[in-house]
Amino acid sequence: MAVSVRGFFQQRFSRWLARRLPPSSAVSLGRRNLFIFPSATGFAFLLLIGLCWLAATNYENNLVFGITCLLASLFVVSILHSFANLSGLTVSCLKVTPGFADKTLTVELLLRQPRSRFRDGLGCSFAGSEKVMAAMSGVTECRVKLTVPAPQRGLHDPGRLRIESIYPVGLLRAWTYVDLAIRGLVYPRPLFPDSYPPGRRTTGEGLLQGGEGGDDFVGLNRYRPGDSLKHVAWKHYAREQGLYTKHYGDVLDRQLWLDWDQFPGLDREARLSRLCGLLLQIVPLGQPYGLRLLGLVLEPAMGDAHRQRVLAELALFEIPNREGFL
Amino acid sequence: MTPSWQIRRHALFWLLTAYAAVIALHAEHLPRWILVAAVIAACWRIQCFRGAWPLPGRPLKLGLLAMCLTGLLLEYGNPIGLEPMVALLVSAYVMKLLEMVHRRDAYLVVLLAFFVAALAALFDQSISGAGYVLGCLLLVLAALIGLHQSDTTSGRLRPLRGAAALLFQAMPLMILMFLLMPRVGALWSVPIQTHKAKTGVTDTMSPGDFSQLGRSAELAFRVTFDGAIPPQRQLYWRGLVLSKFDGRVWSRTFRTSLDDGALLQWYGQQPKHWDQLIERRGDPLRYSVVIEPTQQPWLYALNTALPGGRGVALTRDFRLISAQPVTSKQQYQVISWLDYRVESANLSPDRRKIELQLPDGFNPRAVALAQRWRRLESDDRALVQRVLNLYNREFIYTLQPPLLGRDSVDEFLFDTQRGFCEHFAGSFVFLMRAAGIPARVVAGYQGGERHPDGYLSVRQYDAHAWAEVWLPDEGWVSIDPTAHVAPERIEGDIQTLLGDEEGFLADSPASLMRFRHIGWINRLRLDMEALNYHWALWVLGYDQKQQSFLRGLLGDTSPLRIALALLGTGGGLVLLIGLWKLIPDRPKPLDPLDRQFQALCRKLERGGCARLSGEGPRAFAERIGLEQPELAEQVMAISRAYEGMRYGEQASQPELLAKAVKRLPAIRR
Repeated sequence: MAVSVRGFFQQRFSRWLARRLPPSSAVSLGRRNLFIFPSATGFAFLLLIGLCWLAATNYENNLVFGITCLLASLFVVSILHSFANLSGLTVSCLKVTPGFADKTLTVELLLRQPRSRFRDGLGCSFAGSEKVMAAMSGVTECRVKLTVPAPQRGLHDPGRLRIESIYPVGLLRAWTYVDLAIRGLVYPRPLFPDSYPPGRRTTGEGLLQGGEGGDDFVGLNRYRPGDSLKHVAWKHYAREQGLYTKHYGDVLDRQLWLDWDQFPGLDREARLSRLCGLLLQIVPLGQPYGLRLLGLVLEPAMGDAHRQRVLAELALFEIPNREGFL
Repeated sequence: MTPSWQIRRHALFWLLTAYAAVIALHAEHLPRWILVAAVIAACWRIQCFRGAWPLPGRPLKLGLLAMCLTGLLLEYGNPIGLEPMVALLVSAYVMKLLEMVHRRDAYLVVLLAFFVAALAALFDQSISGAGYVLGCLLLVLAALIGLHQSDTTSGRLRPLRGAAALLFQAMPLMILMFLLMPRVGALWSVPIQTHKAKTGVTDTMSPGDFSQLGRSAELAFRVTFDGAIPPQRQLYWRGLVLSKFDGRVWSRTFRTSLDDGALLQWYGQQPKHWDQLIERRGDPLRYSVVIEPTQQPWLYALNTALPGGRGVALTRDFRLISAQPVTSKQQYQVISWLDYRVESANLSPDRRKIELQLPDGFNPRAVALAQRWRRLESDDRALVQRVLNLYNREFIYTLQPPLLGRDSVDEFLFDTQRGFCEHFAGSFVFLMRAAGIPARVVAGYQGGERHPDGYLSVRQYDAHAWAEVWLPDEGWVSIDPTAHVAPERIEGDIQTLLGDEEGFLADSPASLMRFRHIGWINRLRLDMEALNYHWALWVLGYDQKQQSFLRGLLGDTSPLRIALALLGTGGGLVLLIGLWKLIPDRPKPLDPLDRQFQALCRKLERGGCARLSGEGPRAFAERIGLEQPELAEQVMAISRAYEGMRYGEQASQPELLAKAVKRLPAIRR
């Protein structure tokens, strides 16, 4: 019951928040979107003011009364200072570095201000991420990098960004939740198959020779004791992808394919995970590779752009609203 | 234990600076060992920060706590009281410093520092004391800001600058609150300070007491008269009536009631039955007194007085008394009639007995003299005059009278004949009583220093004792035997009389009073006095003035009006600070040329041709040219002109651009 009541209010709150602070690529913080409320220390400070008032009243001492007034007035003025520490900032998202599922995404934020005012203790966080503190001293811009967990393949929305600060006196907390319409690309969780399946014959000229002893690289096999150390794929080992031996043969088709049909009998995510793992293993070999998914063929190519394209295709396979990410 | 939170270097620096300042505020009335513990704790904390020592563990902390509590109990015995409370708070402050593991511990340290600093104002209410407390608050605030400053590049002084700005901006609102916030009387009675006895008039008088007071230039009270200050010889500040004599010491008689009802008549109460015994003649004199703390309830006023404000009562022997001992500077209003007659009709046999009481077997020579003169003079007045003439002829007024033995009055009258006011007053009353005339000693102050600003300061060396005798048909008459020995003392001031005598001001070696013959020092002294006086009147005694001040300011002191004034003016002040604080957030105004170019962009955007982010003016114009061929020429011209004026050699003419943008026809979709 309690959970459902809380859930109800959380829903109401997020709907109200969505109406009040709609998504936008850059948000300027100010009167309209900042909240401010005394912190626990602030309430303790109010208690202190009460105690001072009691002392002043009971001892009928005007000097202590004056100090009480000063403390109360400090509290009021510090509302403005706490507010001003966030007010006037413009927050935008610079870029989201994609990551693999079950790992993290890196969100890079840009905090800008029109004039180089001193700001400190700017805490930025997403739900589930660690709070990162930033300060601006004599600059108009500062970058903040946040890592957010990437739960599953596809497009991930880390939710609203919470920016908060208790600077300068810690008696009041100013905060806001801004929706920067951030969506990050999450690649499939890579799975490394035991044996690297060789490329599929695609053209008449290419013929795979299963036999050993050729000059051309054919694929990788899990290391078995006794394999020649010369053939160990050290690059893969260094990336902690496991100990493999390179397998050479006479291959006529030197183009490698990541093919949907290579893993029959597996479901979609399992296939994508394996394709992703394969890709990571192939790339260091320095040979062209292509991708074949249902309804999509990327011709073999090399280079960083191609790799990212392939990863993106894997990430966004059968994902709706994928425009702008390919 | 690994601390999850690490205090930063500058935060610790300010925390310890504030700590030192706050504890120094209380150093005077704290037990020595707490100060030693405070220094050790600070050193320990620094060593922790340097990683040299660990923080104390739980058993050690418990041990320290037990030691502190035992120490406080041994030191004070009774834990109820202001000083034990402050000592307890300070020891908590000291120990919390060693327990600062989390940030919330640091917050507690700061809040304790605020409270301990505020309480210091209970002990010292002078201007310098207030300034010191303010300085401490500044340091504590800097420590609080330092706790939140993560930026280490901007220097160690930034927290202090931030604190100064905050404090400065808080001042106007504080003054407003101080002026407008209503004062409520004490909610419950609080333990008073157990201050060491200060110099001042006490409720007993023995030879040597008043000459001791002559050694101090400390202020006793200040008086502001509504009209002119009466002549010096009329300024007898009556404080106590001493009717009991045990052969050496004069003291008060304690009677819970006389035959005619209650002994106290509070301000605002129905006049008691005995109020009729006072015959007040002529115009009343109104004045207000700001009295320094005496730790005693009695107040000083000119005879015969009536209280002029709350919390003051008239006693049965026509003195004024405060509801509570004067533990801090306090202001009270008085109405006095200098022309009066009290208890002129009759003195009841009971009262006669009290006012004629003498101990048996003391001062036989004085008793014999009085009885001899009584036989010669049947008229009381003539007898009084005879005694005064005796003083006038042969006696010397001095601050350093010789010591007296058992029969002090005899020795003084017949042997030494040198004395201060208490010798004259005491022996005079003794002779009167021995002659059968009811008499009593009155203690208080006489005279005072007139300040150019129109008030009177009365100091400890103005302390004085004189006598009252009861004469048929005249009632109680004040008689000052000292005036007959040393009239200059009464007419002028004691400085000119005794200024050269050794011992005068001996207890106030640094007093500027000593240098009053040097012109500029005296002026400086008088200016400082004036400042102190206004401080006492307007700040420390503001609750007395508040009603009339607010009535003058607001016309009415209804709660509604005060609340409105507080909210209105306070809101205005906060708004002003807010504007000043937030205005820098607005971006710099655009260049007029940029503004015109933006107007062009807006106009085209309304037609569906928005400028893309990162698209330069030229590229934008070219694209528009392709999308809207009929506008191509105009848009290109404007963008060229803009580029030329903004970045090229062309003279800046924003009005030309404005005209061109205006002429551009809207895009029809």
